[in-house]
Amino acid sequence: MTTITRPVEEYQAKDYKSDLKPIWCPGCGDFGVVQAIYRALANVGRPPHEIAFVSGIGCSSRIPGYTTAYGFNSVHGRALPIAQGIKLANPDLLVLVAGGDGDGFSIGGGHVAHAVRRNMDLTYIVMDNQIYGLTKGQLSPTSPRGLKTASSTWGSLEDPVNPLLYVLGYGASFVAQGTPADMQGLAAVIEEGIRFPGFAFVNVQSPCVTYGQEEQQLKAHKGTMQTLASVGHDPADRLKAMALASEYGHKLYTGIFYRNPEPPPTYEAEARRRQEETRAQARPKDRILEMFRPQ
Amino acid sequence: MGIGDILLSLEGSETMSHDLVIGMAGSGGDGIVSAGDAMITAAALEGYHAVLTKSFGPQIRGGESSCRVRLSTRPVLSSGGTLDVAVALNWDDFLKFGGELPVGGRTTVVYESATGVPADRLPLPGVTPWEAIAVPIAEMAKKNAGTEKAKNSVVLGLLAGWLGVGRDSLLAGIRKKFGKKGAEVVQGNENAFAAGVQYAEAHPLREPRTLHAAAEAMKEGKLVVDGNDMCAAAALFAGCEFFGGYPITPSSEIMHFFGREVWKYGGAMIQAEDEIAGIGAVVGASFAGKKAMTATSGPGMSLKTEMLGLASIAELPLVCVDVQRGGPSTGLPTKSEQADLFQACFSAHGDVVRPVLAPTSVADTFAITVEAFNIAEHYQTPVVILSDQEIAQRKETVDPIDTKAFAIVERRRPTEAELEKYERFKAADSGISPISHPGMPGGNYLASGIEHNERGAPTASGEVHARMNEKRIRKLDPLKRRKDLFVVEGDSHAPVALVSWGSLAGTAREALEIARGEGIQAKLLVPKLLFPVAEEVYADFFRSVQAGLVVEQSHQGQLYRVLRMYANVPAGVQSLARSGSNPILPTSIVERLRKIVLGLQRQRVAEVEPAG
Repeated sequence: MTTITRPVEEYQAKDYKSDLKPIWCPGCGDFGVVQAIYRALANVGRPPHEIAFVSGIGCSSRIPGYTTAYGFNSVHGRALPIAQGIKLANPDLLVLVAGGDGDGFSIGGGHVAHAVRRNMDLTYIVMDNQIYGLTKGQLSPTSPRGLKTASSTWGSLEDPVNPLLYVLGYGASFVAQGTPADMQGLAAVIEEGIRFPGFAFVNVQSPCVTYGQEEQQLKAHKGTMQTLASVGHDPADRLKAMALASEYGHKLYTGIFYRNPEPPPTYEAEARRRQEETRAQARPKDRILEMFRPQ
Repeated sequence: MGIGDILLSLEGSETMSHDLVIGMAGSGGDGIVSAGDAMITAAALEGYHAVLTKSFGPQIRGGESSCRVRLSTRPVLSSGGTLDVAVALNWDDFLKFGGELPVGGRTTVVYESATGVPADRLPLPGVTPWEAIAVPIAEMAKKNAGTEKAKNSVVLGLLAGWLGVGRDSLLAGIRKKFGKKGAEVVQGNENAFAAGVQYAEAHPLREPRTLHAAAEAMKEGKLVVDGNDMCAAAALFAGCEFFGGYPITPSSEIMHFFGREVWKYGGAMIQAEDEIAGIGAVVGASFAGKKAMTATSGPGMSLKTEMLGLASIAELPLVCVDVQRGGPSTGLPTKSEQADLFQACFSAHGDVVRPVLAPTSVADTFAITVEAFNIAEHYQTPVVILSDQEIAQRKETVDPIDTKAFAIVERRRPTEAELEKYERFKAADSGISPISHPGMPGGNYLASGIEHNERGAPTASGEVHARMNEKRIRKLDPLKRRKDLFVVEGDSHAPVALVSWGSLAGTAREALEIARGEGIQAKLLVPKLLFPVAEEVYADFFRSVQAGLVVEQSHQGQLYRVLRMYANVPAGVQSLARSGSNPILPTSIVERLRKIVLGLQRQRVAEVEPAG
């Protein structure tokens, strides 16, 4: 929700690119993600100073620094609470949140359900690579069962989290997936997420070139990815979306799984309504203590 | 005979008192705590100074509950020591509070006669109270109001009758409280109250304990409020527009207040999914340019630690209230302790200095909270307010506060010129850099927990890290010269010293009065700024000091140890520390002071007449 009205300005992708040089490995999927974000932001057309971009910790969480927005590279797993504080403090801002699968579904996993149910107008982009890259190749919450990594010499003993199904299950109104193997499609779902009036989740299959598996690389994606439109999926169909999302880990669907045709009210809109309803009851601040006078 | 007549007839009598401490205990449903609330409201309306503390067992409903009300014609500094009047609706519940409701040789004990306990065999080992009066409280309630629920109205009548306090205002309070429940309930409770008064008149105390009337001028504008509400109201006054938190005893009332009030002022709040998210939202709101606060208790404070570190390195203002309870872990959730000092000062990885402030009463919780916001905003740092359960949940009568006397500080925004080539973490002499927020054109920067240079760009350079650490710590140095955040009382050249903080400071002030009355040359230092340690303030204070006590409610004596870390504490200054939930009485402090003085005298004798 935005109440700022302004003449339409032309923004280009380069206007959102900062002069910091990414620390990512050559060929990292995150290069594609940041490019897609530049494009999406240019299409939406908000000036960079009206954008707050929050992340946690991890390779992908470096991403706010590579944009010209107000960035916040915070602590591991806590991007969502911080982003909600920003949005509620100033609902006029465009707030983006980003991080990795570990940040969002392991250490910060407890926050996702609550960000969904509070339904602030945030766009949460997870760069899902099924591995911990920054700490040099341990299991992540989305690593497949049996995966051998630095921390699972004999293979993982756990089933992975299904980010798409979890977030749909939590009741999110917008869930999509993309891959940098399809830049146009990725930029489009991010843009749709930003434009959606409420909490929007975009899972990006963003491969780790250093520790990731062969079949997770962009080259492989090009052969396996399949748009949801091509299988005739109607994004208003939540149950079908859940059925398709269940194939996470086996099939690489891209596009919008679910877009609630009747988006519920956002927390910040309800907060604003409450402010308006109660404003008349405010005492002058310098007489605030009078509420403690016994009668 | 009205209350005025009683007072007139006793004017000048030596048996009239300036200070009364009443302790009451019963089961959860007995309405003991609401009787205490009624007493303090009546006291405020009649111009007395008063403190009401409540104490409960761990049960959610029912279980034992108690309160202490201290009434005085002079400002009260603590909830007092041994009870003047003890009211026990049943002995099992009363005895569970042990040292919280101490009965002594001057105590009048009033108890429920249905307990069947003979007045000469009270279950108070080792104590013979001044007098013991068995009153058929339940029976009187049943007879006059038709229900035992009116026991507390009987008790209020007894107290009004015997102590000469608040007869009219207590009755008005009863009418107001039960007004919603219908005329019958009001009448029943009025009858129960009147029966209590009549009983008291028919059974005079062994010696009257009537309280002197308060000065007429003191009746104007007194507030009745607890520390948590005062803290939250002060935060709104200071410009706080955002609260994020998670329910935890004994701080939740701060969140309740925000949930009710903050919207009216255009602000917002979140009851977060956990303590981390609560402070996370506050960090976000501060980044977005708003004054913001969270509140918690010890266990939540532990969880918030990483976020506090983030706010320190990202130089974001915020206020974090820690209402201390007994710890570690779940500890004693409903009881007061002062053992979170180490946590408040030192629970951080890396080199961090985080200002820590502590109120000493409900009244000064206002000033401390406003100060916390001012420091947070000026220095761009998280500030911890270390309140404690005693202050947070006790009600005090508070004299009117002139809010216009308080300055409100805003964070330093970048100038137009600074925005031309903006450096968020610019190394100014003061260490305080201009801070922008999203929405401000030209102020775009990256806030981060990772080390960063002046422009906010991430770095792994040891040189930059050292420089930024130095900046972040240096900027707080002026705080150490804030003498106004310390209270010194007593003889400035005294060789004997007391140091105390938080809710114990009031107890220490009373001890100082008693000690000086006995001719002991003593003085008291109460730091309201606990960290960073103001070395010079302590050096000045300790200059004349040979011996003394640091008085606090923690097993280890945490303030004593922090002072030994940073200040030159004279060798004769010792720790007087007890675990939480065990009140330290002014008399026990004075007892230790006497020994200390005796020690000093012996030392002097030994110097004059060397042994052998």
